[in-house]
Amino acid sequence: MTWSSFIYFAFGAVLLWSFGAILAYKNRNKAMPSMFTAAGLMLFFIFISGLWISLERPPLRTMGETRLWYSFFLPVAGLLTYLRWNYRWILSFTTLLSSVFIIINIASPDIHNKVLMPALQSPWFAPHVIIYMFSYAIVGAATLVAIYYLARENKIVCKAHIMNMTDNMVYAGVACITLGMLMGAIWAKDAWGHYWSWDPKETWAAATWLGYLIYIHYRLKRNSSNRISMIILVVAFILLQICWYGLNYLPPAKQSIHTYSSQ
Amino acid sequence: MKNSSRNIWEQPWGYTEGFILTAGILLTGFFLQLAVGNIEISLFAAPVNYITGALFITGIILLHLLSGKSRVTRWLSGIYAAIPAVSALLLLCIILGLLPQLPKEIAGNELPPGIFKPLGWYQMTTSWPFILLCFYLLMILGLAILKRTRRKQSLRDIGFYLNHIGLFVALLGGILGSADMERLIMSVNEGQVEWRATDRQGTIKELTIAIQLDSFIIEEYEPKLVIIDNETGIVLPLSRPESYMFEGAGKTALLAGATIEIIEYLPHAAIFRDSAFLNVVPMMMEGAAIAMKIRVDKAGLPCPVEGWVSNGSYLFPPNQLQIDEHTSVAMPLQEVKKYRSHVTVYTEAGHTQKIVIEVNKPLSIGDWTIYQYSYDDSKGKYSDTPIFELVRDPWLKVVYSGIFMLIAGAIFIFIAGPEKSIL
Repeated sequence: MTWSSFIYFAFGAVLLWSFGAILAYKNRNKAMPSMFTAAGLMLFFIFISGLWISLERPPLRTMGETRLWYSFFLPVAGLLTYLRWNYRWILSFTTLLSSVFIIINIASPDIHNKVLMPALQSPWFAPHVIIYMFSYAIVGAATLVAIYYLARENKIVCKAHIMNMTDNMVYAGVACITLGMLMGAIWAKDAWGHYWSWDPKETWAAATWLGYLIYIHYRLKRNSSNRISMIILVVAFILLQICWYGLNYLPPAKQSIHTYSSQ
Repeated sequence: MKNSSRNIWEQPWGYTEGFILTAGILLTGFFLQLAVGNIEISLFAAPVNYITGALFITGIILLHLLSGKSRVTRWLSGIYAAIPAVSALLLLCIILGLLPQLPKEIAGNELPPGIFKPLGWYQMTTSWPFILLCFYLLMILGLAILKRTRRKQSLRDIGFYLNHIGLFVALLGGILGSADMERLIMSVNEGQVEWRATDRQGTIKELTIAIQLDSFIIEEYEPKLVIIDNETGIVLPLSRPESYMFEGAGKTALLAGATIEIIEYLPHAAIFRDSAFLNVVPMMMEGAAIAMKIRVDKAGLPCPVEGWVSNGSYLFPPNQLQIDEHTSVAMPLQEVKKYRSHVTVYTEAGHTQKIVIEVNKPLSIGDWTIYQYSYDDSKGKYSDTPIFELVRDPWLKVVYSGIFMLIAGAIFIFIAGPEKSIL
């Protein structure tokens, strides 16, 4: 399977996710929305697997390939949140955000080839990137909730309910961010000789991690403000975006050994 | 938030005092930085780092035992002190991520001029404000752990201890251990034995192990074909450069509007060329190049163009095939798939070991870990001189025990989720 067939799979998946999202609003029963979302995920994953096989390496090397996983994990995070806490609107949020990343991938596709640099040939490669993409999706969903909250704070009746939801998501997300970071450290020791070198990617990963730690600790105080909590979440997500791809536009990017997209 | 009926420094302290104290730490660091410049890490080499670590931990324990119940110490072990400190560290991390960082070997007068230089921001991780802040944060972390032990323990505390002790151990071990870490570079020629390595300053050190290079092997990916602009040499089409990876002779590829048919493929070829003629023949010898005979057709060409392309080697120059006055077919250098060294390692104790060292597969022997770092690429894929990096980090076990506690703590948090009591 090559990149040219992505548009068909992506279109089919978005269509199924959208049905799922609409049904979530209409149905009290969770079965139908979940089935549609799961079917979309299955379709999307068939494409990822096909690409994996045809490239003869995990499709996790380039920015576009990480976006591919992100588009996949967002509805996963949405579905888990929906099933676990029964927020009916979350599926439409995650479908929307996932579509944005799919559109970016269709509009500016990467160059896909079989080349995998020696440094990436490691059993740590797939778990390190996949767990990071999964955590990005969860905290991405939490950020959507935070923006929703900040935009309509006065109209929200049950604020504690929403705060509880972002807490749950951030705890799961930060757990995965921590795991991704530490797997990266252990891998870096094997590949580059040191577990932490303050490479720009590592520095921004640390900044992102600290941002979420501030949220978690701030929320532990009973008198914490909901508004400030949500603002911290948005700021932490901006740090995450810099870590993911934004740092490519910053001066230290030239020094980074974390660059694998270039021809 | 802070209770508004209370003045600053009036108990109970809140975030305001936390931010003021953190600012004080940064300011102290700032003045020390101006006065003496970056911290010379080598001054903390063993045993100084062991003593520093022991004194620091003893200090925290004493503070906890002697005044653990005082309001200031309790505040210092809590969130009101922690969040300002973490925020300041985040701020320094952002500066660190925005400014290019220069190796610590670069002396002060070689740094770029301007305001960031006296602040130590080009070598942030050895600057006074950064290190002082780390120790302040470690103190808060240590006190928080000790304070928690006084509470009634529950199952949830496992997550707290794993995460906080793990971070304390990994961070303190990493900072103190950095002074004892040694990183050396060694290059060895095929068939030779080497026991000397150089550090970052270029000083040669003799080791207690010797490495004999039995063979060095580089594997490359299949060659690629691209179409380039004759004038600029840039790969076309400009908006999204295309390339075709060789899949076998007889195949046809469509590249930037041209059809390329591969007529003949020589994995080992000699290329002889003068101004008028080009001769490509098979050559089974070191230094041979890859060559492909191709036929190119494109709309607007009177007839297809045929000829050889090659990316050359250290013996032969590369060869391109001109399609028309604007474009040519070229073969870029192949990407490296794998490189590995077959070595025999000798230790002083008389122990001999034959092993393969590869990227991502270092060899640990005694105190040293030997990495396949790179190779001398002046002979391309025929290089016979790998470069190894030798790393010695006596504190690695300490840092790893912290990291593994943190991993367990993260898994705990993933399963247990947030504390419900805050609602």
